[in-house]
Formats: sequence, structure tokens, C-alpha cells
Amino acid sequence: MPDMSAPQSTKQLNADLIVGAISLGLAALVFFSTRELSELGGVFVDYILVALTALAALTIIKGFIKPERIEFFESAIERNNVLVGIGILLLYLIFLPMIGFLPASYAFYFCFNMYLADERFTTKNILSSAALTIVVVTAFYFIFHNFLEVPLPEGKWFE
Amino acid sequence: MFDFALTGLYQVFIPGNFLVLCIGVFMGITFGALPGLTATMGLALLVPFTFTMSPSAGLIMLAGIYVGAMYGDAIPAILINTPGTPAAIATTFDGFPLAQKGMAQHGLVAAAVASSFGSLVANVVLAAAAPPLAEISLKFGPPEYFWLGIFGLTIISTLSSGSLIKGFLAGCIGMILSAVGMAELGGDIRLTFGFTELQGGIELIVALIGFFCLPEILSSVIGQRRAAYAEKMTKPSLDVIWQVITALFRRPTLMFRSATIGTIIGFAPGAGGNIASMVSYNEAIRWDKHPEEYGKGTIKGVAASEAANSAMAPGSLIPLLTLGIPGSPPAAVILGALMLHGMRPGAELFTDYADITFAFIMGLLVAAFLVTIIGSFGSFVFSRIINIPSRYLAPAIVFMTVLGSYAIRNNMLDVWIMFIFGIIGYVSNKLKFHPAPIVLGLILGPFVEEGLVQSILAGKAAGGTFQYMVYRPISGVLIFLCIMSLLWPLFAAWRSKQKEAKVTELTGSKAERDVRDA
Repeated sequence: MPDMSAPQSTKQLNADLIVGAISLGLAALVFFSTRELSELGGVFVDYILVALTALAALTIIKGFIKPERIEFFESAIERNNVLVGIGILLLYLIFLPMIGFLPASYAFYFCFNMYLADERFTTKNILSSAALTIVVVTAFYFIFHNFLEVPLPEGKWFE
Repeated sequence: MFDFALTGLYQVFIPGNFLVLCIGVFMGITFGALPGLTATMGLALLVPFTFTMSPSAGLIMLAGIYVGAMYGDAIPAILINTPGTPAAIATTFDGFPLAQKGMAQHGLVAAAVASSFGSLVANVVLAAAAPPLAEISLKFGPPEYFWLGIFGLTIISTLSSGSLIKGFLAGCIGMILSAVGMAELGGDIRLTFGFTELQGGIELIVALIGFFCLPEILSSVIGQRRAAYAEKMTKPSLDVIWQVITALFRRPTLMFRSATIGTIIGFAPGAGGNIASMVSYNEAIRWDKHPEEYGKGTIKGVAASEAANSAMAPGSLIPLLTLGIPGSPPAAVILGALMLHGMRPGAELFTDYADITFAFIMGLLVAAFLVTIIGSFGSFVFSRIINIPSRYLAPAIVFMTVLGSYAIRNNMLDVWIMFIFGIIGYVSNKLKFHPAPIVLGLILGPFVEEGLVQSILAGKAAGGTFQYMVYRPISGVLIFLCIMSLLWPLFAAWRSKQKEAKVTELTGSKAERDVRDA
């Protein structure tokens, strides 16, 4: 298991400034995307935009006057773990419509299980992960595909 | 009426009917517990199976599914911070912290007992006073819905434990997200950025999975490599069941208030279990002598949410059975089932078809008791799920979040939205910008918008929007509640300062006390 007591990063971020700036950006995006709406379709969005902009501005002001400072990751190891986790999930979502539900899910489940294991490549680990992957993924496939008749992705590559 | 109730009860306890009720409750719990599957979906899928049954047996089975699903959604909410259906959103606020403290069984039993109690109270109201209450529900017009939505939004002042400004900012972001898709009135396509799948809006359950489930896995299991999902192992025992039941029944006010809120919100057509659970949770905090306990893992929070959302289910059947207006999506499916069995909602349901109608109502009542039994004893199995090492549990949870998000509308865009919301939820948690108010805005946005736009239209015709929205008795009450709700945190802070000042006067300042204690 990775050592979580590794040296900590000391870089602190101004949370209020980040939240306020992102919210202002969102308000601008929504404003420019909703200028051609009819009166009925736009009235609610306009009221919310006014409130959103005002609150975002207040958050930015607070960020200058009394900022809330945070440390985003406790350590470089935590950052790397999160990024790898997101990467595995991202790959799963990219490959799901391409190679189909079953192959993509078998691969994702097995890889994720192995990634979270303490001792990764022992024979026992590989066999137990493979067995668990086959049982869980196949069971859910049958429930959703056969019983609930959900049309799961079949894979563009195999069409 | 009493005779019909007894006949209904007799119908429920006919062995064949009782068996289908048990199957219904079990199926309901399963549907409620799986994120992505809802009570509506369960009812819609299983309605065809009831065609071949007698009307009483068919409706008794549907009663079991509905009540079971209203409890089942609490299981993942407590264990993995993912509400099985949107109605269990407030259950996560205290249920998940309880599980983290090794008290998952306490949360599960509290949810079962409170669900049953809420359902019981609402069923008594349904059986005794459905017709007069249905008439009141018709007095809810667009302004009342608008103010009810605004009242719901004032809950943000309770949910934002840190900054109130950031809480309301998150609420606004949620309401902007709720505007994505086709406008209910006007038909404009808004903020879809070319994705036709987004015309139906953002699915609530997808947002819930994204904002609540994924960040927890990214943070604790993946980021910190915690070996188990909870900080402490859960050790289920029989004593816990008794402890929780006695603890909850020592708080009759909390239980009755939550059940009443759920019933009232239920019979207002359109307002769902999510609003009921949120409002009830907020009121529980407001009237409790120890509001600081909420959000950190207390069975009171779980009970407030679950009693209300379970009471909402029979509550939503009041306008359905008397006027044919379904108060919630599952009630709409039940309306379909009634029609298929040749029963039309209205007075004749309580006269010509009274035996079947009361069999259905008693089915709801008995299902509530079954939920207590299944929930309490099932907690031995359910609570152990959280003890499974995270290397086995986390891949299954992530896999189910993907599958659940996909299954709602059978499209990959929902899965991507869940993923993006998961990342946003993770980042915003780190920035101390909690996503609960975003979800609240997303839930209440359509409600507020519809009330606002319809009020503007009707107000113009009536000679003034302001007068139309404000000078109405129910609106007046709701506006008063909104003002009270917003001012309450200020009052609570003032009261706590007064108390502190009195203590200081008697025993010296806090710093002096600390020095003395040391």
C-alpha cells in the first residue's frame, strides 16, 4: 500500500476566488447561450443569472477580503492515485460503446480490482479478481439485458 | 368505512394475496436499492404481471412494490452515499456518516421503522380523509407551487454549513442545470449545446450518483487507499434494533411532524418524495434542541427524511384515488393499473369498488409493517455489505453507477454526465463548496420555473402578477414560512449568543473556563 505519510505539498489555494471565478464564467456562458430564447423560455434563466452573477461577485470579494484557503491534495501520492483512478474510468467509458458492454466491463472490472489490491500480480490475486469479474459482470448483464431488457451497448467495432 | 377497512384487511391476509404482497415488497426493496432503478420503473415493469391476477391481488402487489421501493432507496443512501431514488437524498446526510462511524445498522433500522411509521400515518389519513383533502389539493395553483419551491430553497441556509453565500451560489448553479433541455412552457431548447439527448433535461438520479457516489470513491477508496469503505466496521446485533425503535418512539414529535410533512407534500400533485424528505429534514434540524448533531450521523436525521418520503407515497394517492390526478410518477403508473382493471378514480372507488380500493389501502398499510420486519432483520445482511474490503466493493459500486446511469434512458451521454458531475463533485468538495445545494436547485428548479411562468401568464390576465402571486391564503402561509425559514439561522445564532453571554456572566469567559478546566 502506498505510504500516505509522504511529504506534503504546502501550496494553498484561495477556494473562494476559484469558486467565484468559475461561477462567473458559467454565468457568462449561460448568458451568451440564452439570448435568443422566447420570453416564456428565458424569464426563469434571466432571474437565476442575476442571482448567480451577484453571488459569484460576492464570493470573489470574499476571496479578497477573507479568503478560505485549502490544500487540494494531501500528498503527491493521493494526487497520482486519483488521476490513475479517473484514467481507468475514462478509458472504460471511451471503450464501452466501441467494444461493447461485456468485453469493456470485464476489462474495467478486472483492472480496477487489480489496481486496488495491495499485492497486485500474485497468482491468487489474479485468479480471484478474474473469478469475481466474471461472476459480477455476467450476473448484472443478465439482469439488465435479459430480465429488464435494457439494450446495453453492443460495440461499434463488431457491427 | 370501518367495515370496508376490515374487509380490505381480510383480503390482504388471504394467503395468495399475502404472498404477492411479500413478493411485491421484496421486489420494491430491490428496485429501490439499485441506483438507476426507481419505484416508477419497478411498478411499470411489473404492472403487466398483475393483468392475470384479480384486481385486489394485482393492486395489493403494486402496493407492496411502492412501499418497498420507498424504503429500499435508503439502503445505498446509508451504505454508499448514493440515494437509490431521488427521494432518499436527505437520508444520505446522516445515513452515510452513521455508516462511517460503524453504525450502518442503526441507520438501516431507523430508516425501516421511520418508513413504516410515515407510511402508516399517511395511510390512516388516506383511508379516513381522502375526499376532503383532495379538494384542498385543488386549491394549489401556480403561485402556491412557486412559493413551495422557494420554501424548499430556503433549506440551503441549513445545508450550507460553511458559507451561506456559497450555499446559495450552488443552489443557483443547480437551478441553471435544471433549465437544460426543453422549456416546459414556451418549448425553447435551452443549453443543450447540440446534444439532442439533452432535450429531456438532466436526469436527477444521474446527477445524484455523480455528485454523491463518485466523489466518495475517488476521495477515500482511490485517493487515500482506505482498505474498507467505512472508517469503522459495522457489528450488527439484535440490541441495536430495540435501541433504535425505542429511541425513535421517544421522539413522537419528530416522527409525526415528518410523516405529516410527507403526507401534505404528497397530496400536492407534482411535489415528490425528494422535496418531502428535504423539507422534513430541514424542519427536524430547526426544531431540535441539538441541531449540531445533524449531518454528523444521527438516526434523527435518517428518520426525518425516511418518514417523510414514505408518507409521501400514500399521500400522493389521495388526489389520485379521489380526483384521478396522480401526485407522483409512481401514482401515475398505479392510475394506469386501476384503469386496466376497469376502475375509474372518483367517488365510485369508495362506493362501488370500495372492497378493492380498501384492499389496496390496507395492502399499503400491511406492506409498511412488512418493511419494518424485512428492514430490521435484513439490516444484519445489508449492514455487512459495508465491511467488504474496498478493493472488492469499489469496482462493483463504480460498475453499478455506470450501469444505473446508462439504464435510465439507454444512452451513453447520461453516463458521461454522471462522470463529469463526479469530477465536479470531487473538486467542489475539496474547495469546500458542497454539492448538496446544487442538487437541491436541480430538484426544485423545474418546480419554481413552472410556478413562476404560469403565475406570470395568469397574473397578466388577472390584472397584476404581484397581486396574483401574493394575495392568496395558501401563498401567504408559504411566504410567511419562507421568511421564517430564512430568518431562523439568524435567530438561532442570536439565541446561542445570548446563552453564551449568560454562561459567561455566571462562570467567566470561554477562555477563562478553558484555563480553569486545564
